[in-house]
Amino acid sequence: MSGEIAIDLMVNGTEHRIAVPPNLSLLDCLRDKVGLTGSKECCAVGECGACTVEMDGQLVNSCLCLAVEADGKAVTTAEAEDEDLGSVRDAFLQTGSVQCGFCIPGMVMAARAILRDEKADDAVAVREGLSGNLCRCGGYNRMFEAMARVSARQARAEAPTGPVVGTDVERSGGRARADGSQKFLADLTIDNVAHLKLVTLPVAHARIDGIDASAAWKVPGVLDIVTAVDLPQPLMHFGPVYKDRPVLAAAETRHHGEPVAVIAAETKEAAEEAALLVEVSYTALPAVTDIEAATAPEAPLVQPPELRPNDPRSGTNILNERVTEWGDLDAPGADVVVEGIYGFPMVTHFAIEPHGFIVDARSDRMTVWSPVQHPYLLQRMMADLFELPLTSVQVLAPDPGGGFGGKQNPKFEPLVALISRRIGRPCRLVLTLEETFQNVRRTATRMKMRTGFTKDGDLVFQDAEADYLVGAYGDISERVMAKGSYLGAGPYRTPNARIRARAILSHTTPATAFRGFGTPQMSWAYEGQMDKAARALGIDGLAIRMRNLARKGDEVVPGDFGADGHWEQSLQKAADLLGWQTPLPEGHGRGIAVAIKAGATTGLSNATVRLLADGSVVVYAGTSDMGQGARTIFAQLAADAFGAPMDRVTVVSGDTSAVPFDLQTSASRSTVFMGNAISKACEDLHRQLAEMAAELSGLELEQISVTNGIIHLPEAPVPIMDFVCAELRSWGGELVGTGRMRRHSLKDHPLGGTPAFFEFNCTAFEVSVDEGTGEILIHRHVTVGDVGKALNPLQVEMQDEGAAIMGLGHSMMEHLVLGENGEIRNLGALDYRIPTTKDMPLSLVTGIVENGDGPGPYGAKGVSEGAILCTAPALAAAVAQATGVVIDDLPLTPERVWRAVQTRDR
Amino acid sequence: MLGFDYARPEKFDDVIALLLEAGPEALMLAGGTDLVVALRHHVARPRLVIDLKRVEGFRAEIREEDGSLVVPAGTTMTEIVRDRRIQALFAALVEAANVVGSIQIRNRATLAGNICNASPAADTVPLLALYGASVEIAGTSGTRLSSVEDFVRGNRDTDLGEGEVVTAVRLPLPRQKTASTFERITRRRGVDLATVNLGCLLQADGTVRYALGAVAPRPLLVEGGGDPETLFDVATPITDVRAGADYRRAMLNVIAERALARARSAL
Repeated sequence: MSGEIAIDLMVNGTEHRIAVPPNLSLLDCLRDKVGLTGSKECCAVGECGACTVEMDGQLVNSCLCLAVEADGKAVTTAEAEDEDLGSVRDAFLQTGSVQCGFCIPGMVMAARAILRDEKADDAVAVREGLSGNLCRCGGYNRMFEAMARVSARQARAEAPTGPVVGTDVERSGGRARADGSQKFLADLTIDNVAHLKLVTLPVAHARIDGIDASAAWKVPGVLDIVTAVDLPQPLMHFGPVYKDRPVLAAAETRHHGEPVAVIAAETKEAAEEAALLVEVSYTALPAVTDIEAATAPEAPLVQPPELRPNDPRSGTNILNERVTEWGDLDAPGADVVVEGIYGFPMVTHFAIEPHGFIVDARSDRMTVWSPVQHPYLLQRMMADLFELPLTSVQVLAPDPGGGFGGKQNPKFEPLVALISRRIGRPCRLVLTLEETFQNVRRTATRMKMRTGFTKDGDLVFQDAEADYLVGAYGDISERVMAKGSYLGAGPYRTPNARIRARAILSHTTPATAFRGFGTPQMSWAYEGQMDKAARALGIDGLAIRMRNLARKGDEVVPGDFGADGHWEQSLQKAADLLGWQTPLPEGHGRGIAVAIKAGATTGLSNATVRLLADGSVVVYAGTSDMGQGARTIFAQLAADAFGAPMDRVTVVSGDTSAVPFDLQTSASRSTVFMGNAISKACEDLHRQLAEMAAELSGLELEQISVTNGIIHLPEAPVPIMDFVCAELRSWGGELVGTGRMRRHSLKDHPLGGTPAFFEFNCTAFEVSVDEGTGEILIHRHVTVGDVGKALNPLQVEMQDEGAAIMGLGHSMMEHLVLGENGEIRNLGALDYRIPTTKDMPLSLVTGIVENGDGPGPYGAKGVSEGAILCTAPALAAAVAQATGVVIDDLPLTPERVWRAVQTRDR
Repeated sequence: MLGFDYARPEKFDDVIALLLEAGPEALMLAGGTDLVVALRHHVARPRLVIDLKRVEGFRAEIREEDGSLVVPAGTTMTEIVRDRRIQALFAALVEAANVVGSIQIRNRATLAGNICNASPAADTVPLLALYGASVEIAGTSGTRLSSVEDFVRGNRDTDLGEGEVVTAVRLPLPRQKTASTFERITRRRGVDLATVNLGCLLQADGTVRYALGAVAPRPLLVEGGGDPETLFDVATPITDVRAGADYRRAMLNVIAERALARARSAL
C-alpha cells in the first residue's frame, strides 16, 4: 500500500540503513533485510518468545514490533558477540539445555537479560524470566541448572580426554544452535523462490460450490492461483499407508484447514493478501468429530468408499480394526472386576518450528527441502508420484526444529512441487503455527476397560475396547492404533486378555505419529485400571504393580518377544527417588505408573564411515537430528572406534543424494539401528586397518587385531590415530567402511515384526491440590527409564525430562477444542497451552537403569519416548490420593479437577 | 500483515489531525502487543497506523498532580511494576501488571493500551476501575476526563470519540490507608489470559470493594460486605474456550475470599 520508509538500525553494533514497508515486522526485517536468521518465527503472537531480541536494553518479541518502530534504536540478537551471551551459551551447552535448538536463540536472550538483572541465582526469577519462551523439547530443567551455573560464573569445563561413550560430551551442532547460526528450513535462501499461501475454510466439512479468484489475481506480485481443477487429473493423492489425501481439496473439504486453493506470489505479503481475496462459496456440511458421531449408524462418511477400494470397511468410518487376544476371558478366578472409560483428547505436537517446505521441481528432476524425519520415504514418495527415478529426486532435510512424530510423513511437498513445476520456479511454503495445528495431531482415544484381579491383586484378565479417533485421512494413524493397542495389557503378566481396537475416521486434523505412538493413550487406561483395583483391594499402587510386572524374559504378549529388562528395578528406583515409603505430608498424594512401548520392529539403516589421512572421521548417517541428539551419539561411537577426538568427527546427514538410505527416524530407533550400522562400519574399517597394517609390516593378518582406538601388533599396540596419520596418506589416502542394521519383517506378526527392544518407563508424582480452584501443584516428579546403556547420560536425561514435560502438557492442560462445524477453536499459541518454565514441577528428577541388555551399541536401548508413556496415570493417581476423586478424562485442568471435587462434595 | 500507511507524529495535536483525516481507518499504535496480533490475524485492517511512541509527553515520567498520580499513556507494564509510588499505593495494580504476558510483552504493553483494547479479560482494567482511575483524553475541543469504569463500555468498545486520543491515566491518591490485592485464575501457571480475575480494595474504615474481570463484557464493581451467596450475582460469565460459566462464577467467591484475606493482612 504505502511506500517504503528508510530506517536506521543498529544491530549487534553494526549500523544499517534499510528501506522497509510499514507492515514489515522487526523480526522479518532482521531475518530478510539484515540477514540475521537466528531470531525465529513460531507463534507470531508474542507467546513463544522464539523471536526475542533486545531493543534499547529491553527484551521484546520482535514479531510484535514493526521495523519502523525500531528506527534509531539499537537491537541485540542471539548472534551478538557479547560476554554475557557467551557465558549463557556455554552454560546452556554444558548443562544439556540445547536440543532441537529452534527456541534457543530467543531463550539465550531471555537468559542474558536475567543474568544482566543479576537474578541468575534466584530460582523464582529464573522461572519468571524464561517463561516467555517456550521450549517444546522440554529443556527447562537443564536451563535452570544452566542459570545456576552462570550465576556461579563457573569456568567452562575442559573437554574430557579418553573414550567418550558413556560421558556427557557436548552436543554436536549445539554451538550453532546457541549462537543462531544453525540453518533451519525457513532460514534457507533459495534464489528466485516464490512464496506460497494456502486458502482454507473456517469449517471442517464443506461442499465447495465455487471459487472466485478474480480479486486475488489483481494483487501485484501474484504469480499463480491454483485450485484442484487446475492440477493434472486425476488429482494426485498420497499417504504413507493409504493414498487417500488429495493435494488440494476438490469438491469437498474434510477437515478444518484443508486447503482449497494455493497462491504463488513474489513475496509472502502478496501471497497472504491474495489468499484473503479468494472468494470460496461453500456449503457447510455436518462434521463428525468424535467417536460417537463417527460410529453412529447414519453418520456421514468421511471418505467416499472409492478412496479405499477393496476395503470391506470403506462403507463406514472405521479405517481399520485389530484384535489382540490370548487366554480365556471367561476363565474363573477374578475376585474383583474394575471398569472404566478413559478419554484422551486431541493434542498437537507444537514443535516450535512450524512446518515448512521448499521444492524446486523441473520436468526431469526435483530438489525438495523439508525438515522431515523420513527423508528417504519422502524421496520415494515423490519419485513415485512424479514418476521420476530415485536419483532424480534429491531430498535435503535441514535438521527439524522439533519433530516429535509430526514431521515423519510428507504433508505439502507434493503440492509445492506441482506449483513449482507450473510456474517454473522454486516454491516455498512455510506454515504458520495455526496452519501447523491443522495438519498434525495425536490420535484421541476412548478406552473402555474391564479388568479382573484376584483378591491378592493378581491380574486375571484384561478386556479392552480401544477406539482411536483419527482424522480425515489415514496418515500413519492406523499403525498408531495397531502398535498402541497391541501392548494394551501393559508391561504385565496378564493370563487372559482381549484388546479390540479401531481406528475411526473423522472430520478432523489427520492424526499422525506423536511421541509414544498410541501408548500414552493406552497406559492412561490400563494404569487407571491398576489404581482402581489397588484402591478396591486396599493394596498400595507400588505393590500391585510390583506384583504383576513382567520379569525379564516373561512374555507380555504370549508367544512374542519377552520382557528385555529388569523392569522391577526401574519401578523400585522411581519409588525410592520419590520417597514412596516416607510419611505422606498432610494433603499430599502420590501416584506411580509404568508403561512399555514397542521399539522399532523392522527396517534398514545404512552407514558409511570415511577415515581420512589426517585422522579425521566422516560419518554418513541418514538419521534426522531433530533434537534427540542422534548426531552426537553417532560421533561418540565413531570417535571411540578410532580413538579420535570428538572435534575430528563429522556427521553428515540430511541429503539423500550423498548419504545412504536410512528407513526413518522414529520409534526411538536411531541409537540402536543407525548406532549399530555405524559400529559395523567402524568394524569394517578396523578390518581394513588390520589389512593395511599387515601389508605395511609384513606380518600375517592373524597376528594383528584392532579394537577401539588400538591396532594390536605383536611388539606393541599402536594407537589408530598415530598409525593413520603416519601411514594413510602415502598408502592411498582414505579408508571407507560400511555397515548396516536390518531387521526383516515377519509376515505373520501383527506388527510385521517383533520389537527390537521395549522402552520401559516408570513415572511417579507427589502433588497437592488446591481444592478451591482445582489447581495441581507438583512437588516431585520422578521418571526412570530402562535404557540398557546410557551412551551419553546427559542426553538421556535431556530426552527423559523433555518427554516428561511434554507428558505434563497432555496431562494438565493441552487439548484441541472443536466448535460445532468441526473448526478448531483454540488454534495457535494464545489458547492452546503447553508448559512453560513456571509450570514446571517444584522438582523433576530422572533416573536410569543400566544393565547393558539392549540390542544397540554397548547394550543400549532407545530412550526418546519413555518418560511420556505414563505421565498422565501417575499424576492422576497422585491427584486421586490427594483429593479422593478419580478422574478418567484428560487433561486434568484446574476446572476439571474442581468439577470432580464438587461432585465428591455433593 | 497486510499493507498500511504509517505515521509517527510528534504532537498530540498532530495525532488528532491524523485521526480526523483518516477516520475509523486509522488505528493507534502504542506497545503493539494487541494491535500487531490483530494485524497479523487480519482482525484489524487499518489504512493508517499512527505510532504514538514519539509523541511529546507520551513517554513522560509518572508524576503526581492535583491529588492524582498521572501515568502518561506510553507507560509500560514494566514501568508500572517498578514505580515505587504505585507499589506503595496501588499494590494490586502492580500484581496485575506483573502478570500481563511475559517480560517481553510487559516491556512493550502500555497501561493505556490495556484500557483502550477493552478486552473483557484485561488484568489491569478492573483494578483501575476499582481505584476510581480516569483516562485523560485529548480531542479537538481540548482535554476531557472519563472514568475507566465508564470509558470501557463493553467488549472492545470504549468511549473514545472521533479524533480523540488517550494521553494519560490518572489514579487518584487514596485519602485513607488502603490495601489492595489482585487474584486471578488461569489454565496454567505460566503466561496466560485470565479465566477470571478480581481486585479487592480494603479501606482503613473496613469497607471493601471488588472489581471483577472476565465475567462480563466490561469490568464490574461490587461493594463488599453483602451476602456471599449473592454478592457476585451481577456477573454474567460466559462459557468459552477457556472455561465454563459456572466455573468462572464459582471462582469469584474463591478468589474474593483469598484476595480479602491478603488485603486484611496487608493493611
